[in-house]
Amino acid sequence: MNDKLYLPPALRLISENILKHGNPLGLSSKDIAAWSRGLKLPGRGKTILYTGGEYQMTSRIQSLVEVLKRVKFEDNALAAFRGLQSVTGRLGVGLMKTFTQVAGADNETYNRILRMAAQVLKRLGVDFAYIEGELYSGALLYEYGFFEDFSLHTERVTAQLKEAGVEKIIALTPHSAEIFREIYPHFVPHFDIEVSPYVITLAGALKYSGRELSLPQPLVLTLQDPCHLARTLKVTREPREVLAAVGNLEMRETPCHGEATVCCGAPCEIIYPELSEIVAAKRAEELAATGAEAVVTLCPFCYSNLSRGMRMTGKAMKIVDFIEIVHQALGVEND
Amino acid sequence: MTEPKRVFEKYYAELLKSIRNPDVALGLSRSVSANRQKRAAVMQRFPDTVELSREVRRIKEEAIARLEDLVATARKNLEENGARVYYADTGTAALKIIGRIVGSGKVVISGKTLTGEELGLRQHLEGLGNEFWETDVAQFIQQLRNEKPMHYVFPSLHVTREEVARLLTKLLGREIPPDITGEVRTIREFLRGKYFKADIGISGGNVLAADTGSIIMIENEGNIRMVSNVPPIHIVIVGIEKIVPTLPDAFKVAQVIWRYAGFTAPLYLSVVSGPSGTADIENTLVQGSSGPLELHVILLDNGRSRLAKDPVLREALYCIKCGSCLFECPIFQMAAGYYGGQAYFGGVGSVLTAYMGSPQEAAPMAYTCLRCGLCTTICPLELDTSRLIAELRHRFAVMVKS
Repeated sequence: MNDKLYLPPALRLISENILKHGNPLGLSSKDIAAWSRGLKLPGRGKTILYTGGEYQMTSRIQSLVEVLKRVKFEDNALAAFRGLQSVTGRLGVGLMKTFTQVAGADNETYNRILRMAAQVLKRLGVDFAYIEGELYSGALLYEYGFFEDFSLHTERVTAQLKEAGVEKIIALTPHSAEIFREIYPHFVPHFDIEVSPYVITLAGALKYSGRELSLPQPLVLTLQDPCHLARTLKVTREPREVLAAVGNLEMRETPCHGEATVCCGAPCEIIYPELSEIVAAKRAEELAATGAEAVVTLCPFCYSNLSRGMRMTGKAMKIVDFIEIVHQALGVEND
Repeated sequence: MTEPKRVFEKYYAELLKSIRNPDVALGLSRSVSANRQKRAAVMQRFPDTVELSREVRRIKEEAIARLEDLVATARKNLEENGARVYYADTGTAALKIIGRIVGSGKVVISGKTLTGEELGLRQHLEGLGNEFWETDVAQFIQQLRNEKPMHYVFPSLHVTREEVARLLTKLLGREIPPDITGEVRTIREFLRGKYFKADIGISGGNVLAADTGSIIMIENEGNIRMVSNVPPIHIVIVGIEKIVPTLPDAFKVAQVIWRYAGFTAPLYLSVVSGPSGTADIENTLVQGSSGPLELHVILLDNGRSRLAKDPVLREALYCIKCGSCLFECPIFQMAAGYYGGQAYFGGVGSVLTAYMGSPQEAAPMAYTCLRCGLCTTICPLELDTSRLIAELRHRFAVMVKS
């Protein structure tokens, strides 16, 4: 009976892309590094800013999900799966390229956040490099259970990091911070690279710099703690401390926050896109009920899925990235 | 299109249908908030529950590691107490054994039993020509709906009073109004008519103490006392993962179950170690006094001993089925038991379903889990669902590759 087990083809599509192209959506290293153009970041160093290509892939995942939903048409789940298989079978990894243009505008949003992330660190005096052509951490290979592939991939990633002389990773996203800190040590013998979630580095550097933070206009925010950051890595205090120090900013909490945070629904969006949206909309409702003007997120997947969820609820509440807030509050000029 | 793929599609279609059903949403939202409040109140009243839960984790770790040994001890002690004990390797074997004991043309009453759901017991016994009645109110409702249970402790948590009224009206052929007290009275009346006619009572067990051969049954409705006491024959189906070394261990597990389910104490707690008996005449033991003449205990393996040998996935067998995690799961909160297999729900339920059901049945569930980890923070035993799910998906990936 084992040989008849069925798994959704999207899982294979994503894992093959990671192995073949180094990231889940088959993006080129040029695409992934596009945000860093003009920033003159060194390509090697003891400390790196690691994006993992996650912000870069977010807009494309959105388009992929739209494709998945379009091929399945309305809510006929049967047609959905048949459609997905034929489309992925026919177009393979090229599928994403077809929709790169569609995703263009969204893509710029995410690239802008990435630039801000680097500018904020620079402004606070943090020295770091960025590896152009950085490989994706492989988090989804682990997540989907492709452990053998993950193991192979971790070797490539570790080799790349070692080659660039990396001793410390500033991990921009919760997923990469978690995977490097919690999972790599079980797969990579003697993995000794220090991992710091971006918000931790940022909070430390801010304190050290003694800089004042203030927004030009009053703003009321509520915070979406990312599951992996809050529960696995136990990081809930630092983002709040940073935000609490921002002048003109008022914070309101949902009943379920911190370690009790509720998922945005993104993890199942490739396999069950409608379900993912429903989870997102429900969480969006809870966040909107705080009466805040916007939701601040610390994870690109929360950002994109909650944006979608909020649209579904028909509410005008905005989703903003933590980095955008800090960037503005520090008064870093826009590029 | 292959059969397993259809299983995936059917699962997803039903999941979405359930989520979009406003009755389900209403029933669930009432249950979720009620459970949250009840559990918080219990925890406040019994703050020692945290430490007790840690101890229960240690008890379960030891029990699953020594499973074979505990099965032998439990069996020996139950037999010494006068019970007839059967070890069922598979679900089919269990149904055969139970079918032989029950026969046909009988009236069978059942208390809420997950193992019964796992086996498809009702369908099997009805197929043999028996009249079968669920006696737990929620399970009774689910029987009338011809639907599987939707939660371990609250099987019909998604059913509104209006729906219950409709079901009872149809069953009895007279108008039953949508009034909860009236509905419960009506069900009581109906079931009391069955208890004293029943030939056989079937129940599960929440915990089994190996050292005394004692089965613990937790309930509020009093139906399990009827099922286990009134008919001349009592059959208990208990999964072997429910066995713990000692009777004090079993009480600790039981306490954590009811507290996490939101109760300070169950209204009834039964301990059954053998068929009824008396030695009141010349101190000579006679089996079969006021209670049942026979006690049959089915120790159900059905994938459990295989799961117990898995160094990572065995953790799923520690689950004590209090169901508290389900109330907080973002998916379960909307879909109830449709995020589940035949008998087991949610992330940990995916692992149980893979072994006690089939990988085909479990795969759609396993990819539903968000691996968000919220359940782990609720679980008294802190079961690491995220890790279990990654490991289970790994098993699936290997299967598909080979």
